[in-house]
Amino acid sequence: MDTNESRQTIRARPASPPDDDATRTRRDLPLVGDDTSVNMTPMIDMTFLLVVFFMLSIDLTQKEYLPVDLPFAYEGVEDLPQPDETIPRFVVNLESDGTVMFKGRRYSLSADRPEAQEAALGALRSQLRSISADPQYREPTGASRIPVLIHGDRAAKWKYAQYVMQVCAHPDIRIYQVQFAVTKPASDDASEER
Amino acid sequence: MVDIKEGEETEMNMTPMIDIVFQLIIFFLITLKFKTIDERIDANMPKDRGPNITPPSFEDKPKVKLKVFRKNKADEATAYTLVKIDNSHRVRLPSGPWKGTQEDNQARLKAYGEAMAQIRAILIAKRQAVLNDPELYAEIVSPKPDGGAVPEGDVISLLDTLVAVGMTDIRFEGAAMPGGVLGR
Repeated sequence: MDTNESRQTIRARPASPPDDDATRTRRDLPLVGDDTSVNMTPMIDMTFLLVVFFMLSIDLTQKEYLPVDLPFAYEGVEDLPQPDETIPRFVVNLESDGTVMFKGRRYSLSADRPEAQEAALGALRSQLRSISADPQYREPTGASRIPVLIHGDRAAKWKYAQYVMQVCAHPDIRIYQVQFAVTKPASDDASEER
Repeated sequence: MVDIKEGEETEMNMTPMIDIVFQLIIFFLITLKFKTIDERIDANMPKDRGPNITPPSFEDKPKVKLKVFRKNKADEATAYTLVKIDNSHRVRLPSGPWKGTQEDNQARLKAYGEAMAQIRAILIAKRQAVLNDPELYAEIVSPKPDGGAVPEGDVISLLDTLVAVGMTDIRFEGAAMPGGVLGR
């Protein structure tokens, strides 16, 4: 800029001191009017790193856990992965209105007519039967090694959770390990001495 | 843009690229969801039977029977769960639905804590009555027609209390599902 140049010719900068850290003074810093440009490269590098981080941590898989209000419990154990990671775990979501969501499919166990309920239960049963049929997931006794986690809403009627357990105990499926997903209440004055 | 002569240095304006990168970051920030499931309670079903049939070997083992009923189930605001323990004790759980704001749930949890403390005392007394027999098991029964309407939150609170007093052998009993236990 013209004014910039003219200012530079007019102002006399003091003689610059020796160029090592111990003797560097404030007079070395850029003065107003100097032509400075920020090197953008490090900022762009960090921005790319951020983008890569977010891209890697995004979960694009089908939602296995529906957002439900889990029941409160104090004695729940931390949901650690199973000791044998080759055995999957089936997560059965139970919504407050009695709809079951399992592996992306919905079954309305609370349909109006009993025939519709039976049909929904039958469909759930056949789906469970087909995906638990693999013999590597069965004990020598025939019981299934796969646990089922009932991820239910706290307001869902208990009979629907019972229906799910009854379907799991069917002789073709024989899933006997059942877990209930719970959440610990926030510990403030509401929780008392236990 | 068209009049670039050979040998001239060209500068690229970085600003649009940085704008797009910031847009990308904001997009990923908004769509990022950390999947967590807090905790769980294990309730393994016995392997030798379905959930509804008691084998003979169980008939002589000491048990505590907890029957649950949902009373006034037509009116959600006044509906409550009644827990009958061995037909000798009755505990009434707080009324109203589980849905609510954080403040509602705080008050509910406090009320539930008191009710569960009662149940805990009853269970401890029952266990002492059988001289702490390790074969003592609990049975949560939800009979028709009102038993199945009990919210899962209430039954889980009972499970929670049973685990807290150390009674981890729990059976469930209830009405068979539509189509029967074996289904069609």
